[in-house]
Amino acid sequence: MTFATRRLRKIVGALPPGITLVRAEDFKEWQLDIRVLDDNPIYKGKTYRLSFKFNINYPIDAPIVTFVEAPGITIPMHPHIYSNGIICLDLLSSGNGWSPVQSVESVCMSIQSMLTGNTRNERPEGDADFVRSGNTNPRNIRFVYDDPTV
Amino acid sequence: MKVKIKSWIAVASWKWDVPEDEVCGICRVQFDGTCPNCRFPGDDCALLVGKCGHSFHMHCLLDWINTESSRGLCPMCRQKFEYVEQ
Repeated sequence: MTFATRRLRKIVGALPPGITLVRAEDFKEWQLDIRVLDDNPIYKGKTYRLSFKFNINYPIDAPIVTFVEAPGITIPMHPHIYSNGIICLDLLSSGNGWSPVQSVESVCMSIQSMLTGNTRNERPEGDADFVRSGNTNPRNIRFVYDDPTV
Repeated sequence: MKVKIKSWIAVASWKWDVPEDEVCGICRVQFDGTCPNCRFPGDDCALLVGKCGHSFHMHCLLDWINTESSRGLCPMCRQKFEYVEQ
């Protein structure tokens, strides 16, 4: 068993409120559903699905975390979430904010609070061009973390 | 009654001098256990105590520090990681 799989096994147990495990059949990709727990009108009553993809060096390497669509589940509106599900968040980026003490739970909670605190019902600037470019691997994207307002 | 001791076997146990419930923040295994790549706890799989107060299995921390993206920072507090000489 590798480092990555041993570490991932430790999640089994209680997840924080508003976070449920949907799929964790192997240690390559997991899916979790998250709900925002307050009354933010943009997200109230909705559930969103996150996909975590781990490589063998997890948690030294960051997981690839994106929102995914499913029947009845959409990609949340947010100025840092592209309509193809890619999330611009510094802690998901190796070399910027990722740290191996982060976990699936802590990442879910950070994304929950990223939604909770948002008041802008909009996509990032250049969303259409970005989605058309077909880049689906967040690791290959160099985000500029220049927006302290969101 | 006289008792004559012919032989004896000493048994000792040891643990790292850290709070009992503490786990390595990187691999989430108890400090008294090994990092995920070692089989035997002890000096061969030692702990590193940072000047910032955060401890890790040495092997776990080195895996992180040796990556470019770590920038030499403690995974917990993001200060420069310097270990305390034991």
